[in-house]
Amino acid sequence: MSGGARAHVTGIGAICAGAANVAELRRLLASPERRFRLPTAFPTKGPGAELPVAQVDGFDEADPSGLPRTHRIALAAAKEAVGQGALPDAIVVGTTTGGILTTENALEAGTADPRVYRFHGLDTVAQLLAESFSVTGPVVTVSTACSSAAVAISVAHALLRAGLARRVLAGGADSLSRLTFHGFRQLQLVSPDGCRPLDANRAGMTVGEGAGFLVLESAPEADRRVLADLRGTGLSCDAYHATSPHPEGAGAVLAMERALADAGIEPSRVSYVNLHGTGTPDNDAAEARALKQVFGQELPALSSIKGLTGHTLAAAGGLEAVVSVIALEEGLLPANTGLESIDPKLEVSPVVEPTHAAVEVVVSNSFGFGGNNASIILSKPTAVAKVSPSPLPALRVASTACLTGRGALDETLVALAAGESAGGLVPDAAFAKAAPAAFIRRLKRLPRLMLALANTAHAGSGATAAPDFLAVGTAWGPLAETQEFLRKLFESGDQFSSPTDFIGSVNNAPAGQVALLLGAHSPNLTFSSGDRSFEHAVLSASLGIAAGARDALVLAAEAYEPKLSPLLDPEAALSPCDGGAGFVLMPDDDTKGARIRWLAEVGGDGALPSILSILAKDDGARFDAVSVGIPAPFAEESSAILDRVAEAFPGCPVLSYRELLGHHASVSATATAVAAQGVLTGTLPLANTPLPRRRVLLLQAGSHATALEVFA
Amino acid sequence: MTEAKDALTAELARKLVETLGLDMAPESVDPAAPLIGAGLGIDSIDTLELVVMIERDYGVKIDNRAAGVEAFASLDALANYIRQRRKTA
Repeated sequence: MSGGARAHVTGIGAICAGAANVAELRRLLASPERRFRLPTAFPTKGPGAELPVAQVDGFDEADPSGLPRTHRIALAAAKEAVGQGALPDAIVVGTTTGGILTTENALEAGTADPRVYRFHGLDTVAQLLAESFSVTGPVVTVSTACSSAAVAISVAHALLRAGLARRVLAGGADSLSRLTFHGFRQLQLVSPDGCRPLDANRAGMTVGEGAGFLVLESAPEADRRVLADLRGTGLSCDAYHATSPHPEGAGAVLAMERALADAGIEPSRVSYVNLHGTGTPDNDAAEARALKQVFGQELPALSSIKGLTGHTLAAAGGLEAVVSVIALEEGLLPANTGLESIDPKLEVSPVVEPTHAAVEVVVSNSFGFGGNNASIILSKPTAVAKVSPSPLPALRVASTACLTGRGALDETLVALAAGESAGGLVPDAAFAKAAPAAFIRRLKRLPRLMLALANTAHAGSGATAAPDFLAVGTAWGPLAETQEFLRKLFESGDQFSSPTDFIGSVNNAPAGQVALLLGAHSPNLTFSSGDRSFEHAVLSASLGIAAGARDALVLAAEAYEPKLSPLLDPEAALSPCDGGAGFVLMPDDDTKGARIRWLAEVGGDGALPSILSILAKDDGARFDAVSVGIPAPFAEESSAILDRVAEAFPGCPVLSYRELLGHHASVSATATAVAAQGVLTGTLPLANTPLPRRRVLLLQAGSHATALEVFA
Repeated sequence: MTEAKDALTAELARKLVETLGLDMAPESVDPAAPLIGAGLGIDSIDTLELVVMIERDYGVKIDNRAAGVEAFASLDALANYIRQRRKTA
């Protein structure tokens, strides 16, 4: 096995039930003590809701600045990870809860002031960290349910390998919330007496909260202590069921095998496997079978720490990456806390008490809803190797789909040609045939939009196989599902809600449905980075294809929800609008067609002038037109922004696309679809702008500035 | 196919179709046929949805696999399961 470049862990930070920092986590692992109790983060009502959780101490008092619980937990752990070291130049955060706990309380109280909801968006967690550490590079949010943080670490590794960052803060954070507590309860997945992974009498998980972050560096300074190395990561999707794991653990096998291949490490060299091990009957059975398939009958030492920390959901992969680093540093095999009698059917022998041993290589598993699997591999530090970054490749556009207020791509182009706006809500007829009726029976608007885009793009590419890489962007996720779940919950006094809506409420649920429909077992990433969600899906697909993926399906969409969208999203408060676009992207070759290349992301003060000077330096005169997206919070500055862009590209037409394509967070995907048509015909369908050299710059001027180019 | 024997079975058929968004008339649900699996296309998520509906509307819990097997054997079986455990007749 050969394996790609490693990254070096130079900082760790963690918070979970029973540990406010890494020092306390070390003590907790050395003498494990379960601290499950009824939640105080929110009130529970009724006998059915008396279930223990794994709650972090010290965050029950409301924050004076209105920061939600997830943000505060994330910031504390991130500060510990960065410590006194050099500041990161990029951030990748995995989260599913974001500001939901704050939103739940405000919705129940009927609060109509949008300012109360300003931290709802998942992107605001990473943005808070970016501000704290003055990060000017990519600030990325991954939301793939309970694998989020592990997937975030995988994305960070790819950024370092490509030379797009040198020092990345990566991990995840989630807080307790009524949505997750009652959601898992309604799924009958919560153990009444605390989770007991691998136990014969295991009866489910314990919902927890926390955060775990690593600082990962490609080439740390000589005086920086390296704690461990990140050797490789593997991602996969079961494409089997919305929540239940594949019974044989087929997706888990793929994730572990891909991670081992990525790291260039033989299974026999693995000293310890940190299990996903949630304590649900199905997860533990599937994971045990998967282990035997990957490692044979001679399994490495293994344990799940969730009987100690609870299941910290999106944070789990980050927290357990920190635990893996501690295992390597201290030569400590963590115990499978909570185990009373091993389930003989599993045929595994977990570490029953903290044990000192030689730990050289650790595999850490994180699996989530949507059949979303991630495995990461850490080892003891090795020599710092020189990284030779290669620029991101241009990708050939094999097919394009889009959905706007006018319908699909053709209807959109007709409207634009007539100088009319294509904004508004996507008409039902445009996505009614997203998939067979039985398949979409339970699905609401966002997964249906996403399936329609996926189907059209996939069919249009002529591909006969399932996509080899799937990257999805959605800033707001399935809001209708969240709204319905909370409405039913509140109306029943926190007793009842819909399991279907809970399953559907995770931001990666649409991507999971797309994988199911197309049978895609590939890496399956969902980015919820605000207005940059589509750009991050393109970035991720570029990294995936650079690493050898045969093709990539890239989708980005938003679905307007009449109650929540105007409260949460300043863009949606302007007028109801949704839609998005989808592409099948291939490695560049001699085939004719449009190309997309991810160019840059710059954040912080002066993001726009910085990106403009970077772009202008790199043969800025090559563009025929600049298509600019200005998110609603920056609308007041729009004429200044457009002037500034025009100055940087003298003589080049500068077009603001949101007026023509609509106001929603994924409209940059639509703008890219339109540009991909324009470079083929020689006319950009925005104000019929001629493209003699067939090259368009797509710029987004929000809190971060991003740039893509589309050319033929 | 047997006729719905009583009001509860008919009511459950209506709620089944409504709760799960099934594309069929409540009268066409065979009260003797297995609820879960190929016939109606009802899967584990639908089953949980029905569990919540039954607890909410009838105050009857179905909280383990054995109970689920008994309750969801058919629409008639579900009606019997509820009748035997219902607090208020």
